[in-house]
Amino acid sequence: MAPNRRAVALWASGLSVALVASVIAAVTIGPADIRADEVLASISARLGVGESPLSLLRDGIVWELRLPRVLTAAAVGAGLAIAGTVMQAITRNPLADPYLLGLSSGASLGAVSVLLLGAAIVLPLAAFFGAMLALGLTLLLASSLGAITPTRTVLAGLAVSSLASAITSLVIFWTVTGDSYRQILGWLLGSLAGARWPAVAIAVAGILIAGIPILLRSRVLDAFAFGDVTAASLGVNVSATRWGLLAASALLTGAMVSVSGAIGFVGLILPHAVRLIVGSAHRVLLPMVAIVGAIFLIWADTAARTLFDPRELPVGIVTAIIGAPIFAALLARRRSLT
Amino acid sequence: MTGLDVSGFDVTGLEAARLRIRAGAKLIIDGVDCTVPVGSLTALVGPNGAGKSTLLRALAAVLKPESGAVSFESTELFGMPRRERARTVAFVEQDAATTTAMTVTEVVRLGRLPYESAWGDGSADSERVVVDALATVEMTEFAERDFDTLSGGERQRVLLARALAQQPRLLLLDEPTNHLDIGAQLAVLGLLRRLAAGGMAVLAALHDLPLAASYSDHVVVVSGGRVVAAGPTAQTLTPALIRTVYAVEATVLSNPATKKSVIVLSELG
Repeated sequence: MAPNRRAVALWASGLSVALVASVIAAVTIGPADIRADEVLASISARLGVGESPLSLLRDGIVWELRLPRVLTAAAVGAGLAIAGTVMQAITRNPLADPYLLGLSSGASLGAVSVLLLGAAIVLPLAAFFGAMLALGLTLLLASSLGAITPTRTVLAGLAVSSLASAITSLVIFWTVTGDSYRQILGWLLGSLAGARWPAVAIAVAGILIAGIPILLRSRVLDAFAFGDVTAASLGVNVSATRWGLLAASALLTGAMVSVSGAIGFVGLILPHAVRLIVGSAHRVLLPMVAIVGAIFLIWADTAARTLFDPRELPVGIVTAIIGAPIFAALLARRRSLT
Repeated sequence: MTGLDVSGFDVTGLEAARLRIRAGAKLIIDGVDCTVPVGSLTALVGPNGAGKSTLLRALAAVLKPESGAVSFESTELFGMPRRERARTVAFVEQDAATTTAMTVTEVVRLGRLPYESAWGDGSADSERVVVDALATVEMTEFAERDFDTLSGGERQRVLLARALAQQPRLLLLDEPTNHLDIGAQLAVLGLLRRLAAGGMAVLAALHDLPLAASYSDHVVVVSGGRVVAAGPTAQTLTPALIRTVYAVEATVLSNPATKKSVIVLSELG
């Protein structure tokens, strides 16, 4: 099942086209009917080519509401999928994922804490520190249970995640009045309802700052397949690489969570799915998983905002409904790793 | 500790001096000196728990000893840049396994890592080394197979090919014959002997004493974290030494065809 270069190139170009098509298609979907050609014309008008055929209101819907939301979904999906891929490789744990190991909840807590202090500008940074803290706690807890196994790490992540979520709820509950339940759900389950252009900027910046260094280490990630000792014997500085890449994953998670809250399972299931198609060489796997993650979250979020129109689901519910059964299946298949 | 017999070693290869390794408070390796000459297959033998695996990791420079020095052809291994070191020394771990689905070629290609830039190196030369390494271990027809569908002996040969793809001058292996059928064991050891004859320094930890005796040129015997004997296999593995180290009775014969030792073991009478 070695995918040859031509098959990989076909998949890569096919999925890239699918990503662009998904962005445009998702923007057309919603209460106000807007056709794909109108979306394209509106976008090119903004880029200085031609004039928008849409009324000011409908043009606003495309440019101020739907497009930034769809682009945020794409960036967050890509970011979480990359973070999950890296964590699975570096911890040799097929169950590793920023959500399951508590990073997302830690990031939520960090973000919520500074948000209420009124320091929105440092939101991604606070989310990063929250994610790092949660990761440290999870690994500490997992190692205190004995040898670090995948299942122990997930259990430790569950404990850390529950604690961080509880504190997040408490903080919001105490400080915010009115619509606080909705806000709590948004941070705990993940929601892209509030995503505007600043969210796009933060998510894309996260991918550029953390994602490119990760891509440049893709061959090193391959070396971890046979464990630390083999990686070291292949000339890899194991501890520096591990902590550097885990920090990059936390940064990526922090940036994504600060705009979307804690969306689960994207980082868990997509790496497994994409490995089945293109194999496990990270030089190919990482860009592909990013594209598939983007497409996946665009459609998950489109479902979240349209399925029960006019009410909107947090997108994390959609990803959990899809992801939780797959997680259970992975757990069953990896029984031997407990 | 008996003196090292280095009289037969005319080419220096791997040299370790005064190695001490601690795991927590416990001293695992307690002042080890040993030598692995270029062009020979050296067996690292000793009872379970003697510290063979720990010693091998230190000799492969993946485990930093508390004190002591490891050098290859007079270059200190721990002082070398990591990538350059990985082009000199290759290490095959005991029971190396992966949960990642990889093809045989992908596994062998890992051995090219010390030669690659960040974006990898798909150069024809590099691919040629990978193909040659697979041919050397006679696994060419398995190139596109999934690693986890192979038998134990086939996996061991693929891991050996990965090590060979590093184009090392020193090859270290931890129990390369573990869990293998006798035929696969002999195939691996025969291969190691040919690699050594081709100019490599090869050190393999082996728990099967008769097998070590019939295949190795030199032997390093460790017990309780110390080297208790070392030198050419035939002169070193004596009945007295085997009785002291393993607490078993041994008769050592010489195979008239190969001039190698044949060891027959029995319980202490």
